[in-house]
Amino acid sequence: MHNSRTQAGLPSMSTLAIPRRSLRYPITFLLLVLLAMGHVQLGSTLSLSQQWAALVGPASDDFSILQFQDAALPRVVMALLVGAGLGLSGSILQQLTQNRLVSPMTIGSASGAWLGLVCATLLAPTFAAHHGEWAALLGAMGAVGLVLLIAGRAGIAGLPIVLAGMAMNLLLGALASGLVMLNDQYARNLFLWGAGDLAQMDWHWVTWLLPKLAIGLAVLAFASRPLTLLRLGSEGAQARGMSLWPVMLGLFVASLWLTSISITAVGLIGFIGLLTPNLARLLGARSAFDELLYSTLLGALLLLGTDALAVLASRWTINLVPSGAAAALIGAPALLWLSRRQLSGEDQRGLVLPGHADRRITRWGWALIISCVVCITWLTLCLAPGASGWKLEWPSALIWSFRWPRTLTAASAGIGLAIAGVILQRLLRNPLASPDILGLSAGATLALLIGAFLTGGAIQSASAPLAAFMGSMLVLVILLLFGRRHQYAPGMLALVGISLMALLDAALQFALAKGTADSFAIMGWLAGSTYRVSAQQAVWLCLGVLILGSISLFFHRGLTLASIGDGIALGRGLPLTRLRIVLLLLVSLLCALVTSVMGPVAFLGLLAPHIAAILGARKVLPQLLLAATLGSVLMLTADWIGRVIIYPLQMPVGVVASILCGTYFIILLVRQRCA
Amino acid sequence: MRLIFTLLLTAWALLINAAHADTLPKRIVSLTWESTEDLLELGITPLAVADADDYKTWVVRPTLPDSVRSAGSRVEPNLELLAELKPDLILINPSLEGLRSKLERIASVQSFDNFRQDYNNYETARRNYLQLAEQFDRKAQAEQRLAAMDKRILELRQQLDLHFRGHPPKVTVIRFASPAVAYVYGDNSMPQYAMELLQLPPAYPLPATAWGITQKPISELGQINEGVVLHIEPFAQGEKLFSTRLWQVMPFVQNRHFAAVRSTWTYGGVFSVQYLAEALTEALLTIEP
Repeated sequence: MHNSRTQAGLPSMSTLAIPRRSLRYPITFLLLVLLAMGHVQLGSTLSLSQQWAALVGPASDDFSILQFQDAALPRVVMALLVGAGLGLSGSILQQLTQNRLVSPMTIGSASGAWLGLVCATLLAPTFAAHHGEWAALLGAMGAVGLVLLIAGRAGIAGLPIVLAGMAMNLLLGALASGLVMLNDQYARNLFLWGAGDLAQMDWHWVTWLLPKLAIGLAVLAFASRPLTLLRLGSEGAQARGMSLWPVMLGLFVASLWLTSISITAVGLIGFIGLLTPNLARLLGARSAFDELLYSTLLGALLLLGTDALAVLASRWTINLVPSGAAAALIGAPALLWLSRRQLSGEDQRGLVLPGHADRRITRWGWALIISCVVCITWLTLCLAPGASGWKLEWPSALIWSFRWPRTLTAASAGIGLAIAGVILQRLLRNPLASPDILGLSAGATLALLIGAFLTGGAIQSASAPLAAFMGSMLVLVILLLFGRRHQYAPGMLALVGISLMALLDAALQFALAKGTADSFAIMGWLAGSTYRVSAQQAVWLCLGVLILGSISLFFHRGLTLASIGDGIALGRGLPLTRLRIVLLLLVSLLCALVTSVMGPVAFLGLLAPHIAAILGARKVLPQLLLAATLGSVLMLTADWIGRVIIYPLQMPVGVVASILCGTYFIILLVRQRCA
Repeated sequence: MRLIFTLLLTAWALLINAAHADTLPKRIVSLTWESTEDLLELGITPLAVADADDYKTWVVRPTLPDSVRSAGSRVEPNLELLAELKPDLILINPSLEGLRSKLERIASVQSFDNFRQDYNNYETARRNYLQLAEQFDRKAQAEQRLAAMDKRILELRQQLDLHFRGHPPKVTVIRFASPAVAYVYGDNSMPQYAMELLQLPPAYPLPATAWGITQKPISELGQINEGVVLHIEPFAQGEKLFSTRLWQVMPFVQNRHFAAVRSTWTYGGVFSVQYLAEALTEALLTIEP
């Protein structure tokens, strides 16, 4: 991704691009005008000439005229402004980091802003109603600050920042669902807004947004020189007498500001910030200024088009389709299509995690670990609040019959995800590979949702495991197809994960925005719950995980060789391609099994292998065993916390596990960076 | 002789009744708000109900005694707590049907249909109430209660008739989601049934959905040319919306055909229709005919 970028800013290139550029702007502008007119046509009952009369004529009290003036027009203007803001914000970020995968959505600023707003709305509703943008900015800055810290200076230009952003997104998403679940009815109205809807009733938000976007103009006016210099590399820029850090910081904050105010005004709208700068380059934007300006224009065009589709879809389905959901539905495949050629297999860097401990586990160490595990298991089974306070006793037969399927499911899921994580991390030589980051869980979940939607049945029906398996297999096939061409570059793999997760988010928000009680059932399931698991399912899950896990143990030699390097593996006569396919198949089976029974759980598959490595399990076999043990204990603990924390209500184990593991994971990464 | 025979017969009948009363469920857990309402309307205090605290905030009427404890959420009731409480009857709806086999280990389970797209939610609610009453041997009381409700609604209707001089307006009931979007209550929603009983035709007919609500941008409400729009409180951002130009030229705002309905639960059991009818009437009476 670097080779193509370093030449891009040279003056000779931009002179070459001038003839095309002179056509590119007028055409885009013309399209924008046409689309805006079309959009207004969709939103208003007036004919074109009446619209013109309403624009230039005297004020009127006629409803359809005012509807045109105060609902249809501001919606179009809003789409233009927000689109332009997001496009510019994305372009600044991408140029600053020299990284095409960076955007408000991918580095966590959007979800940070969103969480900031949700917190403010729940804690201080009046403050949020008037100054929500500051809460959003604070959230965005916090999230991005952490992501930058994790990625480190060297990681900004590459994959580490995207992976860190992804982890941040998962964590913040889990936190937001946890918050919403704690605040049931009150939080309902948040959903619609979270889905990013552009409907307007007056010019309030336009007049609110417009002055705040002025900072974008300042960026357009002054940022092109530092950004051009930045392309020469930071040393080159400093040699020309520019102190880089203040300028970069200023631009970063400006970009976050643009994202934050857009989100405050209309809610979450993903992908525009990511796609726009990429499209701009694809269409020939070369110089720094050209990229900024054209991204601004293109962002407006893209959001306007998406919103027009959302309006059309709303007419067709009687229920409202939020613009943000439409953006994700279009954006996810577009991202995959755009990026299919732009990624090379060279960028294999991931994030460095602590894990190369010099110690090994002794026999005593194993004994200690096992006794801890037994203790924790016993506690989670016996310690629980009851109708008359806390109790520490072996549960009665009836209570036990409710408790054991849940505990067994949680523990089995932990084992399965941990094993899947070890295999993926070893196989792809990427410490951040895990079922959730690669989108396998999201694929399974999406398949289940679509299945439930098409058949109108419950999500966890008899055919659920099959649908989940098809979903994660489909993702796997995509991964294999793309992956082979790119030598399984982690960037490519992460992209599939990002796209799928955004799609899932869109589907979820669309469902939630309907605001009925069904929404909460879906949300509860998507949070990863063991509540409805039957004894039979629990036993099957446990058996399945144990069988698949034992099979994976047979491959430990192959995994060891593959994790050293392709050359060595091939040199030892290992059928690498076949090994990869078999192991990936195993992983997707594990994911499908777990997801179909209890819904998605994030971070566990990522974290358990690392903790195992930190504890000293350096070889594949001990790592597999230890990670599986740790995974099950983590899940048991999460299940216990979920059962007791808001008793008699219950928090889904998936959310608890995601928040626990995610927080630990982020702390781990930050500490590694600070050390 | 005849007297003794009568006495014996009476005693026998009393005995049977007493024995029957013993078999009536006493410790009842309700896992849906509709059946919670129905139980309370029958004068039965349940042992525990799902989401007790939210019930007090959102459903409000009929009042839930403080002694009733929460049984967990309506989506995921706390099974272990239920097992400890040892109820003898658990009331559920079809969305909890998947839990039946587990719940039956605790106590006998009875399911009542609730909100669905393909049938009349109000009729179902009425039937459910009677069925429940029968189970507790309180059918007479229930029928009395229903008759009282019908009478009350008739009264309300007459009040409206009087107020609007025999020409009741078309009505649409909405709940605001944000200053730009509203949920419109359409066919098969409880407000719609309340309107039907009050003989108020809908001003913005919408197809039936399972819960009876449909999301619409507020600007679309401008299509309601004649008729009254009632919004169910609370709506915190009212000022933001009501001060806009577009809102002020909405036909129903211009004609002063807009009023607020005090906070009322709209997805309830059969008597929620009565409470809705009362609240709607109260709001309509503030509107000039």
